[in-house]
Amino acid sequence: MRKSIRAGWISAALLLILLVSSACTAVPAAAPAASEAAAEESSAEPARLVVAQSVDVQGLEPSNVNSRAESNIFQHMYATLFEITASGAIVPYLAESYTVSESGMEMTFKLREGLTCHDGEPLTAEDVAYTFQRAADDANGFTGNTAGFVLDAIQYQDARVESDLEVTIVMGRYSSPALGLISEAYIHCKDSYSAMSLEDAAANPIGSGPYRFVEWVKDDYVLLEKTPDFTLREVAYDEIQWKVIPEASTRTAELIAGNVDIITNVPPDQHEAINNSGNAGVTGVAGTRRMYVGFNQRAMFDDSEGGQAIKNTAVRVALQYAVDVPTICKTLLAFECERASSMVNPPNNNTNLVAYPYDPAKAEELLDAAGYPRKEDGTRFDITFMAGRGRYLNDVAVVQALAQYLTDVGLNVDLQVMDWGSEFVPALRAHEVGPLYFVGTGGGTWSAVYDMSDLSAPTAATNYTEWNNAEWFELWDQLSDARDPESEKVITDKMLEVMYNDPPWLFLYFQPDFYGIAGDVNWQPRRDEIVDLTTASPQ
Amino acid sequence: MTHSIQQPPAVARPDAARQPILRKQPSPWLSAWRSLLRARWPLLAVLSLAALVVVALLSPQLAPADPNRQYLIQRLQPPLSVNEASGGVYWLGSDGLGRDVLSRLIYGSRVSLAVGVAAVLIGGLFGVFLGVTAGYAGGRLDDLIMRLADVQLAFPFILLAIMVLVVLGAGLLNLVIVLAIGQWVTYARIARGETISQKRKDYIESARAIGVGSSRIVGRAILPNILAPLIVIASFNVAGVILSEASLSFLGLGVPPEVPTWGGMLAESRDQLLGGYWWLAVFPGVAIMLTVLSLNILGDWLRDFLDPRLRNR
Repeated sequence: MRKSIRAGWISAALLLILLVSSACTAVPAAAPAASEAAAEESSAEPARLVVAQSVDVQGLEPSNVNSRAESNIFQHMYATLFEITASGAIVPYLAESYTVSESGMEMTFKLREGLTCHDGEPLTAEDVAYTFQRAADDANGFTGNTAGFVLDAIQYQDARVESDLEVTIVMGRYSSPALGLISEAYIHCKDSYSAMSLEDAAANPIGSGPYRFVEWVKDDYVLLEKTPDFTLREVAYDEIQWKVIPEASTRTAELIAGNVDIITNVPPDQHEAINNSGNAGVTGVAGTRRMYVGFNQRAMFDDSEGGQAIKNTAVRVALQYAVDVPTICKTLLAFECERASSMVNPPNNNTNLVAYPYDPAKAEELLDAAGYPRKEDGTRFDITFMAGRGRYLNDVAVVQALAQYLTDVGLNVDLQVMDWGSEFVPALRAHEVGPLYFVGTGGGTWSAVYDMSDLSAPTAATNYTEWNNAEWFELWDQLSDARDPESEKVITDKMLEVMYNDPPWLFLYFQPDFYGIAGDVNWQPRRDEIVDLTTASPQ
Repeated sequence: MTHSIQQPPAVARPDAARQPILRKQPSPWLSAWRSLLRARWPLLAVLSLAALVVVALLSPQLAPADPNRQYLIQRLQPPLSVNEASGGVYWLGSDGLGRDVLSRLIYGSRVSLAVGVAAVLIGGLFGVFLGVTAGYAGGRLDDLIMRLADVQLAFPFILLAIMVLVVLGAGLLNLVIVLAIGQWVTYARIARGETISQKRKDYIESARAIGVGSSRIVGRAILPNILAPLIVIASFNVAGVILSEASLSFLGLGVPPEVPTWGGMLAESRDQLLGGYWWLAVFPGVAIMLTVLSLNILGDWLRDFLDPRLRNR
């Protein structure tokens, strides 16, 4: 027995040493060897840029893209009619021009000549029309960005072929951000896609963009290679690989070790380690993603105290005062933020609206007045708060801080942190998260209406709260009559005021984006989270 | 040879022949205590486990702060820092949300111990019941139970745990259930083997011959004689279950993030480790290590003490 005790203590000491050394070691020991090996190999192999993101694609169906992480990959495989630049300008891409009908409900695009899809099929107006028709076909059951957001937002009616190179998109109403929204649809060719089943299409993408599909190893990586005859872009790298590394600290370690070139969502507490590594640095940009806590008002939550409570506008307003957003930004996200007062990114927001201040006493007063006084146990009502893990910057810490603030004003919060891909996203898509849920939705700086398109209808796929404010949707309808920016601004400002007073969200912040970039890569991140690798080049 | 902890048979004791035949045997507890006093490391292990139990029971009295109270502006303070917001001292530092690491460590002992003991108790009782039933009844029931055990053994535990936790949802009770599911097979197999060995012995045959019922034979004769190896296994298993709880919490499959657990604390430290905040991982790591080590040493000693061949070595 003595022997086993001695062995036990030796094992314990070794374990302790391992723990301490792992805690104190910033750079994995294998880093130099890995870098040297990579350098030796680089002369023989095609130039490859490796990007690490936190989540994998759910599939490879271009009409079923659900997240920014997925669209980052898809936008390299599929081109769009127009595209939005880093500065917010909308410029021609597959199309060289467009015209809008007098009613504003038809947009006709003229395609460039000589376009092809990756399988060699010529890309014509028929393929563009097919792209929209296929996405809109209910039988396909698509819920991604094109089907679930773009088509809803423009009230898509039809796509009509005018000639070989001209196609018309027919909308149910005039919409000022229609061009930008249509620019999010990934164009694919009819012959190749109509010959495939949905399952085949989701596994064998045939794109139209600067990179073509090579391989997808689920939960590991997606590999793309340069499309040889693509003339609309000059790209510096022969191959781009999108690795899935859910763990932020592992992404950081891989960047420092030289195994990846760009990483997304670098947690604030790791900036120093990357910047001090000598072979990579952190670059931050003020992002456009609107982070919020949604108040899901679906009837399915009616049998819970919290579900009932948040149906009361006064409760939703009261909770705005309960959360100290600037402190969350400063401490957990390493940036000084101004709290959002609406869902619209500056400068298109209603500047007359002052963000709700942190005033827990006022929150308590309003909750009392709303009919939810503290009970004997000190709580007001029970409420479930759901969040996904690992998708947003420091998300688990942020939701814990939010839960603490809500607890402080008397809510008995049941915080449920779920797996992002397998649990949270399916529930979010089905509008079944809540009554409180934490999420961020991508935005832009080029249009207020674009940012507001999440709430284009009470049952819109992206209206996860199923908020149904009659005044908001009346004004939304009026937007189609506003043909100049000034009159549109009057309506959007009014709508944002309506939202401010009857908030479907607990407004938080516009998420900053921190990227870790290897020293030998020249790349500038964009504010809108689009990771455009066509602009990257070796140093 | 019997394995009764209550009444070890005199014939199995090598020094029995030298003792007067009418001399009263010392109680097993007294024997255990004497044996423990003679062995240095097991005594230390018992003392440290006793201290752990006291800490777990008196967590609210011992913890210097509310383990869930966040002070965002005081986050990641090193050990022995003063919490400027509350005036208290962060003896073991603060975590990424400004919570007191020492208080979370103290409260975390409750979860680790409760989960360890409850899972072993539930899994053990279930496993012993099935094992004794299989061993005593034999035949098809024996085959069925043992094939069930084989099926479970062929399934990786972590995968099984992930599946069950995804279906049932994360939470303390579900965690205990999952860990108990992972334990029963060990007990069932040992209990079955021991039962088969006991039921062939003469005293069982005699009991049957005089018409004692099966349930009485199992309860009064077999169970007391197969307990010793099961107790030893249980002591090792508590350590294993504590490690499994830590692993599942580390994977985010344990209890909700605001509930302090040692594994959860380790998991939360991941993002900060590269920044040099060592105290977030080292203290819960050391707590897990010391607890598991103590349980293993205690298990070693129990094995030796309950085996008459090793007792006086």
